[in-house]
Amino acid sequence: MISPARRLALAVTAALAALVLPAVPALAEDTPSPSAKTTFVLGIKQDIDSLNPYVGVVASAYEAYQLMYDYLTGSSEKDFSPVPGLAESWETSADGKTWTYHIRKGVKWSDGQDLTAKDVVYSFQRAIDGDTENGQYGNYVANITKVSATNDYTVVMETSEPSPSMLRLLVPILPEHTWSKVSGEDVGTFANDNAPVGSGPFKLVEAKKGQSYRFEANKQYWAGAPKIDELIIRVYADDAPLAQALRTGEVHMVNDISASVFESLMNQPNITTSDSKYSGFTELAYNVGAATVDGKAIGNGHPALKDKRVRLAIDHALDRNVLLDKVLRNHGTIASGVIPPIYADWHWNPGSAARAFDVAKANELLDQAGYPKGAGGVRAGPDGKKLEFRLFGRESSETSKKNVEYIRDWLKEIGITVTVSIMSEDQLTAVIGEGEYDMFEWGWVVEPDPDFQLSVFSCGQRSTEDGGEISAGWSDSFYCDESYDALYEKQKTILDPAARTAVIKEAQQHLYDNAVYSVLYYYNNFEAYRSDKFTGFVHQPSNGGSLVFQYGTYTYRNIAPVTNQTAQKRSLGGIALVIGVGAGLIALAGVAVVLFSRRRRVTADERE
Amino acid sequence: MTTTTAGGGVRARRPRALPLRYVVRKTVTAFGTLVFVVIVNFFLFRVLPGDPAKAFSPRGRNADPNRLAEIRRDLGLGLPWHEQFWAYVKNLASFDLGVSWGQHAPVSRLIGERLWPTVLLSGTALLLAAGIGMWLGARAGWRHGSRLDRVSSSGAVTLYSTPEWLLGLVLLIVLSDLGVIPAAGMQNPLSELPPALDIAWHMVAPVTVLAVVYIAEYSLIMRSSMLDERYADYLTTARAKGLRDDLVMRRHALPNALLPSITLFFLTLGFVVSGAIGVETVFNWPGLGRLTYDALRGPDVPLLQGLFLTFSAGVILMNLVADLLYPLLDPRVRAS
Repeated sequence: MISPARRLALAVTAALAALVLPAVPALAEDTPSPSAKTTFVLGIKQDIDSLNPYVGVVASAYEAYQLMYDYLTGSSEKDFSPVPGLAESWETSADGKTWTYHIRKGVKWSDGQDLTAKDVVYSFQRAIDGDTENGQYGNYVANITKVSATNDYTVVMETSEPSPSMLRLLVPILPEHTWSKVSGEDVGTFANDNAPVGSGPFKLVEAKKGQSYRFEANKQYWAGAPKIDELIIRVYADDAPLAQALRTGEVHMVNDISASVFESLMNQPNITTSDSKYSGFTELAYNVGAATVDGKAIGNGHPALKDKRVRLAIDHALDRNVLLDKVLRNHGTIASGVIPPIYADWHWNPGSAARAFDVAKANELLDQAGYPKGAGGVRAGPDGKKLEFRLFGRESSETSKKNVEYIRDWLKEIGITVTVSIMSEDQLTAVIGEGEYDMFEWGWVVEPDPDFQLSVFSCGQRSTEDGGEISAGWSDSFYCDESYDALYEKQKTILDPAARTAVIKEAQQHLYDNAVYSVLYYYNNFEAYRSDKFTGFVHQPSNGGSLVFQYGTYTYRNIAPVTNQTAQKRSLGGIALVIGVGAGLIALAGVAVVLFSRRRRVTADERE
Repeated sequence: MTTTTAGGGVRARRPRALPLRYVVRKTVTAFGTLVFVVIVNFFLFRVLPGDPAKAFSPRGRNADPNRLAEIRRDLGLGLPWHEQFWAYVKNLASFDLGVSWGQHAPVSRLIGERLWPTVLLSGTALLLAAGIGMWLGARAGWRHGSRLDRVSSSGAVTLYSTPEWLLGLVLLIVLSDLGVIPAAGMQNPLSELPPALDIAWHMVAPVTVLAVVYIAEYSLIMRSSMLDERYADYLTTARAKGLRDDLVMRRHALPNALLPSITLFFLTLGFVVSGAIGVETVFNWPGLGRLTYDALRGPDVPLLQGLFLTFSAGVILMNLVADLLYPLLDPRVRAS
């Protein structure tokens, strides 16, 4: 006879099984069924800091804004040239100060309302007036003096001076009817994650911070309906699990992974890797004389680095080919100017006039400059101060740590002693702002418009002093030169692209000739995707640029599932899950039986 | 079950209510510790190097250096420290932990969102580990020198000295390559399973890693306290009564040997909140550990302050609970 206790145990087990089992058939079905949605999953490493376009700053946040919202103009997939966005056409007045944008008709917000010129004016006015809003987009609207709508589909903007940036206004157009409810006071902490209304190619439907973001395709999108139905962005903490997820098919694409993980994905079945050309460069930067904008010297940089000849000598001693080969493992190109070659129109390079790797030349330059070799082979200046420099590398970057080691060894060859320190980027930022460095290794990512990158070397970007406190600008070289500033200011107001290009190239050459930075290399961006599942990925620029995190949403709108896909066999994971659930149930039953039977025995024992 | 009067008597006598003075003293001490933590917390993160204005403003998209100065002012960075401290304490009194610099959201909301995944992960691991660890340790100690003892003790020492992230990484690479466990995360957005089951499925690997480390701790402690009890006189009495060996252990020796393990349990319970940064990072678990890791960028001072306050409060609270429970469990504490 079955004892009551054992019967109870069986009942509990049965109940548990009844709870769990309905889940199993779901797994047994072949995925994907014909009616199933096509979902594309992108794995990223840096979580979206905020879905509110007035506060988020990380790259993944900007990626989300591009998906959710539209801009007046866009950047072409071919070469980043301006292309129509919400504005289907535009014209400029003769003096270049009045811009008229013609807004596309028939565009609807995701809640069904019409998108009109009023929404455009609202978005720009908010970027001009709001404190938080201006903090985010101030750079784009700094020159705009007036924004108005002459009718429902025409926006007129007036600027204080001719501004080429008027075709690169990356200010998202937001719906006035929902955003007017978010006050200027609340906007700083507004999450914008509850089914926000947008007009972009995708619509946010679910946000789980730190985990995943689900976007639904906008099948009415004006530039054509995306071919996928759903886009999920999943956040991973580290490279290794991210690559693992690509292998198992949990994600269909990964971006911005490390070189070693990228190489482990090369030549894997069903995975296509893309060594995409990128808009970033890495440089060796010098403290060319740290000072505030008022010209007051700050920090403790080595005075010899103010001497252009010393910097040129250092530049000659750098064997960039070794860095490219040993550190970057050839995932990049040798660099010279500060605008990377993916911006073909703006990019400048010295061609055959490039400074060669030439130790003899470097030694000669230093001898001429008055830094003869002294005891122990270390050079010293006329004042007897030895050429002993600090060089800072970044803790978070493996390539940075290697680069600084190479540079130290090379400079030893020409009689310069280098002390390497590795620190966090946060600490390095603080140290640079105070001018307490000689040299460091870091890099920049350059926007399609070169204005900001060039501004970094202007006098006005040096640190400022405010009530005895030094606060940093964007300059990390403290370069300040009148003729350079003139070039920088000049390019700001030229509307004709060809004429502007000439000035921009001249500015890059100026920086190169004066060795303000020793730009080391342009590095690639590592991307990989499941080519057995999706096809139609788009490079920007067309000659091998990035596939995602573009200036635009080309890939997301163009990818489609690979057709004639044979019915997917249930994944091994699914089988394992069924086995796991089964084993779990058996174990539970076992435990229950043992516990109850023992309990009976115990009570029997004790009665004796 | 019939009640028994034989044996240790710990469970036989009903504990009397706690003396009020004891409760008050322990609570005041806990509160004092908390105040101390609040003060240390404030200064600790202000010595971290960094320029939050630059770290949290759009690099390249915000070319105006005047804006940087403005952001610094908005963050209250220029203010003298005592004014900053006063503002911090005042806000804290109204349970306002401030606004995260990096994530642009109230710190209390951010912590709230990430609290339960951590409690779920560490809590499950802790309960499992305590159960299995005590069971193993008790048996190993009871049969000192047996095969079980030798295997479990050496195993425990090995696991206890293994870094958990390493264990996690190995498990992750090997098992997920075989498709036995999901790669990472708490939920797969593509999964067709009911959410609760999907989460449970994703918990298997991280819980295993965490539990294995905890188990080692519990079994070692339980083993040694069992060894202490093994030759006690009252056990001889129990055996003399003719009780089976197994019963002597579970009903007589175990309750007395349990106290050090309970201490450990409450101590680790405090650490449930602080989670396991390493394991959460490896397994991509969206908990407080990961949040802490993210907050170190910048550094995001308000978020770090909030997190450390939460962690410390968790430990202090659990210690208080343990202090208040001891006299109920152990008459010796009550007597003193």
